[in-house]
Amino acid sequence: MKGSRFHISRVGAWLITSLTVLIALAWVFPLCWGVISSLKPEDEVVRPYIELWPQTLTFDHYYTALTNSLIGLWYINSLVTAVGVTSITIFSSMLCGYAISQLNFPGRRYLYMLILACFMVPTQTLIINHFILMANMHLLNTWLGMILPQLVYYPVVIIVYKQFFDGVPKEFREAALMDNASEWRIFYRVYMPMNWGITTALAIVVFIWTWNNFLWPFLAATQNETMTVPVGITQVYNAFGVYIARRLAAAVLAALPVVLLYLFFQRQVTQAITLSAGIKG
Amino acid sequence: MSDIKLSNVSKTFGTVSVIDDLTLTVHSGEFLVLLGPSGSGKTTILRMIAGLETIDKGTLEIGGHRCESLPPGQRQVAMVFQNYALYPHMSVSGNMAFGLENIGLGKAEIAARIAAAAKLLEMTSLLERYPAQLSGGQRQRVAIGRAIVKQPKAFLFDEPLSNLDAALRVRTRVELAQLHQRLKSTVVYVTHDQTEAMTLADRVVVLNNRHVEQIGTPMEIYHRPATRFVAGFVGSPAMNFIQVKTKLNGKKIGIVAPSGKWIALPGASNIKGDVELGIRPESINIVDRDADATGQVKIIERLGERTLLHVQLDKGPLIIVQDSGLSKLNINSPVKLKFNVSQISLFGPDGKSSLRSAASK
Repeated sequence: MKGSRFHISRVGAWLITSLTVLIALAWVFPLCWGVISSLKPEDEVVRPYIELWPQTLTFDHYYTALTNSLIGLWYINSLVTAVGVTSITIFSSMLCGYAISQLNFPGRRYLYMLILACFMVPTQTLIINHFILMANMHLLNTWLGMILPQLVYYPVVIIVYKQFFDGVPKEFREAALMDNASEWRIFYRVYMPMNWGITTALAIVVFIWTWNNFLWPFLAATQNETMTVPVGITQVYNAFGVYIARRLAAAVLAALPVVLLYLFFQRQVTQAITLSAGIKG
Repeated sequence: MSDIKLSNVSKTFGTVSVIDDLTLTVHSGEFLVLLGPSGSGKTTILRMIAGLETIDKGTLEIGGHRCESLPPGQRQVAMVFQNYALYPHMSVSGNMAFGLENIGLGKAEIAARIAAAAKLLEMTSLLERYPAQLSGGQRQRVAIGRAIVKQPKAFLFDEPLSNLDAALRVRTRVELAQLHQRLKSTVVYVTHDQTEAMTLADRVVVLNNRHVEQIGTPMEIYHRPATRFVAGFVGSPAMNFIQVKTKLNGKKIGIVAPSGKWIALPGASNIKGDVELGIRPESINIVDRDADATGQVKIIERLGERTLLHVQLDKGPLIIVQDSGLSKLNINSPVKLKFNVSQISLFGPDGKSSLRSAASK
């Protein structure tokens, strides 16, 4: 009896593992194929059958993408946008989450409900308002115009912070009050250092989300010089004509920073995804 | 060090009254313990003194200054929390320095105060450690150290020993008593543990159901409980209660013991009808004749230096009697009991001590 149950559980484990591997392969194959194809000469790429390894290995497409497009500038635009959105979102959300969780002020509950209600509004529906607002403020094709509308994209960060601060025993705040600390000192000397782990995790995912964001940067940048990487690589087609390998090389270059972030901060990213799971709208 | 005066203080949470018209003075240098069961309002009183709860009505003076509207940090009192509330990301010295930095003390002064407190509490070697690297007892010391460096007018302790294991609790209790003797500081200490109250306090305030039952020295509380609640709450095992009738014998008042014997109670003149006799287990003697009550031993608890006998009275309830450690009695042994008259308490139907009020007249 015992043996058969052990047998069944082993078979089950094998089945699940095999299924996981299959799904992982299906997921990773297009990525690998894209990377491999970007390393092939153009004529090998357009062959009507699948070659899993290039006959001739070449980095020419990367060289061309880097030298014959504005990708360097797009990187800077993406970096400034992602860093700007991340730092402002994280800092303001931390303050907001702290205030809703710890401070007693009239309308606190309603403010929180309002923030929760933000999830019901898809960011796409705000695009026209944002565009008109930014155009009227003459902020299109500027870093500020790229950053400002994206600051309202991630109310989930406020909620994660609020839940974190709710979980901190209230005695810490009371001890700091007894220690004659001002509200600001309580926040940045007691509460902020306690949440470095969660802040790192949230900062990384907000950075990745912003880096990958397409719709608003696509609308806010109408000149090649002001585009972000994901928007810019769509222009590689125009710049190069139909050169699939070059476009793939440009796509790999666009994804590279995010992939590296994932590799280095895997644990934090997983933590942030877990924290915001079930909340993110 | 300074007096703390609460005058006609009231507190409500929503529609629920938590403290009603409390007047209490903690004398300078006094160790005052607020003792009571959960929900009796003792922690609320402490938090009102600290400033962590607002005072709805009444006044609070600390060291002669009105404080009820001051924020917690400006009342010049220090609090030791039940879970210590040490900042986890700051070292021991950082924890102690934080409050001093907030009042703008110079670095040299802060370092001197920390060094002095660390020496007093014998924790100089711990100063660079973080709270997670400390044992429960060490954290407790740091929490006390954090309070001492502030040189407050009064110390407030909120059940500071409840998170320690039994052996450490006893040791820390003694250390706290020694510390108070050395610092001669005003202390308000909240606990539900009567042993802590009895051993540490100069005076004990027994609270029940949001009002003060009795204020007195530990011995007054123990030997002359003002109410039936105090009698039952303080002392382990608890006081025995037996329903008896009062009876005049000539002009002398007394009670009829369970054996039917009349016991004179000198000084008790205003009692009548049915009353409850309260007597502690150690105030009942096992005798051969002339008994006030008779019964049968049902349970024997041998505690080493003494033995507790649970005796079912022939005419009355099950009571606990203390015998010597080498008690030769067995289960179902018949026993004759005699009450120590000077240790008897009587409680009227309102729960208040009749004998005490009679004696005080």
